[in-house]
Amino acid sequence: MGTGAVVARPRRRLPVIGRLVRGLAAPLGSVLFAFVVGGAIVFATGANPLDAYQGLLCGGVGLACAQGENSALQISNSIVYAIPLIMCGVSVALPFRAGLFNIGAEGQLLAGTMAATAVGVHFAEWPTVVLLPAVLISGAVAGALWAGIAGVLKATTGAHEVVTTIMLNYAAQWLLRYLIIGGPLQPPGEFSASAPIGSNARLPTFLPNDSAVIVFGLPATVYRVHTGLIIAIVAAAVFAVLLWRTSLGYEIRALGQSQKAARYAGVSMRRTIIVTMLIAGAFSGLAGAVQIAGVDHGMTDKYFSDTTGFDAIAVALLGLGSALGIVLAAVLFGALHSGGAVMQSDAGISSNLVLVLQALILFSIAANFLGAIVRQIPGVRGRRSAPPSGAPATALVTESATAPPDESAVST
Amino acid sequence: MTALSDILHLLITASLWQSVLALSALLLLPALGGVISERSGVVNIAMEGMMLTGAFFAVYADLHLHNPWLAALVAMFAGGLMALIHAVVSIRFRADQIVSGIAINIFAAGLTVFLVNRVYGLQDVGHINTSESLPNIALPGLSSIPFVGQVFFDQNVIVYVALILLVLTHIVLFRTRLGLRIRAVGEHPQAADTAGVNVFRLRYGAVITSGILSGLAGAYLAIGISNTFVPNMTDGRGYIALAAMIFGKWTPFGAFVACLIFGLGEAIYYNNSIIHASPYLLSALPYLLTLIVLAGVVGRSSPPAADGIPYVAGGE
Repeated sequence: MGTGAVVARPRRRLPVIGRLVRGLAAPLGSVLFAFVVGGAIVFATGANPLDAYQGLLCGGVGLACAQGENSALQISNSIVYAIPLIMCGVSVALPFRAGLFNIGAEGQLLAGTMAATAVGVHFAEWPTVVLLPAVLISGAVAGALWAGIAGVLKATTGAHEVVTTIMLNYAAQWLLRYLIIGGPLQPPGEFSASAPIGSNARLPTFLPNDSAVIVFGLPATVYRVHTGLIIAIVAAAVFAVLLWRTSLGYEIRALGQSQKAARYAGVSMRRTIIVTMLIAGAFSGLAGAVQIAGVDHGMTDKYFSDTTGFDAIAVALLGLGSALGIVLAAVLFGALHSGGAVMQSDAGISSNLVLVLQALILFSIAANFLGAIVRQIPGVRGRRSAPPSGAPATALVTESATAPPDESAVST
Repeated sequence: MTALSDILHLLITASLWQSVLALSALLLLPALGGVISERSGVVNIAMEGMMLTGAFFAVYADLHLHNPWLAALVAMFAGGLMALIHAVVSIRFRADQIVSGIAINIFAAGLTVFLVNRVYGLQDVGHINTSESLPNIALPGLSSIPFVGQVFFDQNVIVYVALILLVLTHIVLFRTRLGLRIRAVGEHPQAADTAGVNVFRLRYGAVITSGILSGLAGAYLAIGISNTFVPNMTDGRGYIALAAMIFGKWTPFGAFVACLIFGLGEAIYYNNSIIHASPYLLSALPYLLTLIVLAGVVGRSSPPAADGIPYVAGGE
């Protein structure tokens, strides 16, 4: 090739590394943007951004710890935070592919925690082989049903899933408060907490539950990292296989591409919308159940201000809707969460800075600030291999209030 | 049966309806903002964050300026700035307006607590109290009318402002050229553009107006109803305002009726000592009612045709 191709510039396929770099440019650029702007905000309020980020780094990955924190413990905490984010991230990403925006992962997660707790408390004497699956399945089913309401409304009346899932989030939050404050799940003498689930209903941690065993200088019991991690990884794998290797996945992607085309291809829109939402809700509900079975062993008032399902939106977007991307993004956000706590105790800067960073990441990835900046640089415009419309952020520019994101752009 | 007679008894007290109107006004302001923004074609689910920002800056300004009126102005400015971010991201950068809205809400939740920590050195659960508040004004003469006087003419100043804005929004949207243009831009921007209407300017204006109104609601909450800023004190009210907007089919008076219904629920909640249902289940009611409305039980509720679609000049 190349002979006389002066006009039509020769363009080879980028090598694998090059494509990888190009694919990672937008998400990494968004994270960079968030840290720069977030640092500016910290600086503007008279604090040192480097102190803040040192705290984040320590709490996230156990590096550069100012107070001699245990690195292994920090990494363990980050993974614990990442586990539900992976499952909820998948729960947001799957409907995305069908052109549906699931803002309801939070409500679905809460539905999962409620069902899992109810089963785990009520049938506490069942043997583990029965009880643990029952707890996890009940969580998934509750989440599926909660999301299914939005799916059915969308499929039958056209009610926008964004609005219905927002309403379902708040309905779940108030239901949760009712259940553990004066409701049936509040045991006598407790306030704002359920009874603990039975010990047979708990997911084992990776390390032995024995404080005599010392791991990395600390008793094994302080490391909370649990086998829910395996469930989360499997969930991500199921998501990928479902999407790319099954006929349902084909229908979901077809629906996301174009409703009209999907109809011509014989895809039942109503059925696909409902099934997609059911599966998405199951992932979030499972996340809630895993959180109960693996970490909290019961519901507490901390779930009143839980934001996992909202963080998951950022995870799904930052992960560009791919299984691997979601896992990586979830690990990043898990690290930020874990880091926020250390930042607060070490540097005295509110862990809420993490929310600010997360919002900045969302702004950046949705608006493709990086792409806009790059396009301002002289000479870059002509060398771009893909038009601006190929940038991930444009995937989020919906055709109409109900139209799906542009599939081709999501998958770049 | 005692519960029912208790409720009936509660429903004929003037003080209940006084607080219904006071609480409805809190929802009405962001709901009007939502109506204006979405009528111009920009989806706005960020009223929650804009309100919260307004609430923080109202308290912040109040503590520094010792003047609730200036504090309310600062809150409106802060809400408007938040809205400007939403406008730039979704109009200039044509980002997904829902993602941008979520980002605003997360941003506001994080930033306000971060600032509480930085400015006042408090940990995440800190309360900041103020002393100067937006006053209640009992209109002389009118407020002494039995029942009606207490309900309508003995209210916080912002309640009167909200009711005036309600009428004003209705008139502007449906009786003026400006309103016609806003609606045209929301229904068919290409046609409006061809007719010489500046789509971008109108949309910017509409979104920023929604932020100003939400910011004012935040001020009303923080230095009118209470005298304190508490993290996440809006507690979903911006989302209830969104629900009210949909409930009211994107019209000011429709939204107001919805706000009254939700306000009634909340007022009963505050008087729950004589109601024997769980206050938490009552709190879930506005959201469930909205779902029922969306299910088409009371007729279809559909947004403006171009709501949520970024406009590209000369595109399509």
